Amino acid sequence: MSVLVFSLIHMVRGDPVRLALGTRYSQETYDALRERSGLDLPLVQQYLTWAGRAVTGDLGVSFRSGDTVTSLIGERLPATLTLALAALVVALVIALPLGMLSALHPRSLIDRVATVVSQIGISVPDFWLSIMLILLFAGVLGWLPSGGYVPLTEDPLGWLQRLVLPAIAVGVVSGSVITRFVRSSMLEALGQDHVRTAQAKGVPTRQVLTWHVLRNALLPLVTVTGVQLAYLLSGVVVVEIVFSWPGLGQLAYQAVRDRDFPVLQGSVLLFALVFLVINLLVDLLYSRIDPRIARR
Amino acid sequence: MTAPLLEVEDLRVDLRTPRGTAHVVNGLSYTVGPGETVAVVGESGSGKSVSVLALLGLLPERTATVTGRALLQGEDLLTMAPERLRRVRGPGVGMVFQDPMTSLNPVLTVGRQLTEGLRAHGPVSKAAARARAVELLGEVGLPDPGRAVDRYPHELSGGMRQRVVIAMALANSPALLVADEATTALDVTVQAQIIDLVERLQAEQGTGVIWITHDLGVVAGIADRVLVMYGGRCVEDGTVDDVLERPVHPYTRGLLGALPDLATADDADLATIPGTPPAPTDLPAGCVFWPRCPVRGDARCETEQPPLAVVGAGGGELPHRAATWCAEGEAS
Repeated sequence: MSVLVFSLIHMVRGDPVRLALGTRYSQETYDALRERSGLDLPLVQQYLTWAGRAVTGDLGVSFRSGDTVTSLIGERLPATLTLALAALVVALVIALPLGMLSALHPRSLIDRVATVVSQIGISVPDFWLSIMLILLFAGVLGWLPSGGYVPLTEDPLGWLQRLVLPAIAVGVVSGSVITRFVRSSMLEALGQDHVRTAQAKGVPTRQVLTWHVLRNALLPLVTVTGVQLAYLLSGVVVVEIVFSWPGLGQLAYQAVRDRDFPVLQGSVLLFALVFLVINLLVDLLYSRIDPRIARR
Repeated sequence: MTAPLLEVEDLRVDLRTPRGTAHVVNGLSYTVGPGETVAVVGESGSGKSVSVLALLGLLPERTATVTGRALLQGEDLLTMAPERLRRVRGPGVGMVFQDPMTSLNPVLTVGRQLTEGLRAHGPVSKAAARARAVELLGEVGLPDPGRAVDRYPHELSGGMRQRVVIAMALANSPALLVADEATTALDVTVQAQIIDLVERLQAEQGTGVIWITHDLGVVAGIADRVLVMYGGRCVEDGTVDDVLERPVHPYTRGLLGALPDLATADDADLATIPGTPPAPTDLPAGCVFWPRCPVRGDARCETEQPPLAVVGAGGGELPHRAATWCAEGEAS
């Protein structure tokens, strides 16, 4: 994994040292900086040095700013986490009611509308949606700021105002995907024999839906929500740039532009780690939901 | 005769399918008295299960059309308001389903599924419901009910699960118990245990029982009356003695292996009825059994539907009836 990250990044054309120095520099400065950054060493050796430090939590120093990569990531992580979680909330708020209603009334008007809407939601590129949202809510209506970020602790209202649009832009796509899954897994759960058994016991409908339908539909849902959360965390890059949201996506983007290898490697590695952690969490959650997995 | 517990009149169920309307139950009428056991026998696809699911409104609303009347203690189940019907499910009619592997919720404990039924019909404390659940599990012969109550269905064997399903149906001491192939999955000793339990309930509480099965051995053992279904119709009914000892309808006789085997007289193997039941989307115009009937002793068999008429010397309170044109001439 880390080998892949490393080699892919180093295949990018462009010399980070040259970019860092600007247009006027002497050959000596160039060589000195190259040597200090370790870029004059063979690639394999560069990798081993980097990987060796990475396992101890030292991801190196930015070519550009001279800050440690861990501190740069640490600064940006809360913003991205906030945005991803807010987007997940948006996604679930859309997906759960819409998917459930569709499953309870298949082929009804609401089901058809939900299908069309979620199809559109899946197809729309998030950057385009971001721009449209900015045009409408920040431009025409002027209700919300077009971007930026203020910490929650300084200005809660401003924080919320700036969070809404990017969260919607990111959340709509995931919400559409999850809607589909809610519908299909609910339909599957509804058709199971034990639902009929529960009805035959005279259990009230609401209870049948919660404990016998939803409870069983949850399993596939947790999986897809986990995948979507991982996507949200890493997939916010474009939206962060559009909304000038100071998150990891923006950091990674700047790192690519500046050929700031350590920062780029660090962020990509972090994204990979996030995927792993989320998958692990999903697996752990599984055993909480499904006793057939837990007690084996 | 006391007022019947359940009175089904001209029950018809149509299901919409991609291949057209399936006439699954076609004019079924029968009664079940308190403490009485009516066995419904027939092949798979004869409409046995659907006819009882229809009573409790458990068929998919979008595709099923149910007509007729089904009076449970005088109240029509088929026109009942949903909330009233919910209250009947359980204490009014308890239902045991066929497949123990799928009729339990895999993510809830056995105890949770039992107490849920108890608590849906009145204020019962958690502790009391749990105690009752343990008691019920013991009654259906589950070993170590105190521990079984906290288990998940996948931790139990098929036979144990079936007993849990039975316990759930008995939980609210139903006036009518519907058992759809309830003991088919169980071995003979457990089967006998369950039958004993049901008979005790009948004696103690006057529970009426509809026992759907294709096990004629069980029928002979427990039933007061037998109803033979074929192609969604009742083709023969009467007391267990009449139907099992003196079957009239060619189908019943085929089912009992009582038909003389004309084609291969020396073949002593198990008697079978050749062919398959008619597709409910495409029922024959005349007698439903005509396409497979070895007798066909009347010109009307192919074109005209035989009515369910009293046959033999029976009569009285429990008449022996059969829907066939061939009753007089062929009855042995």
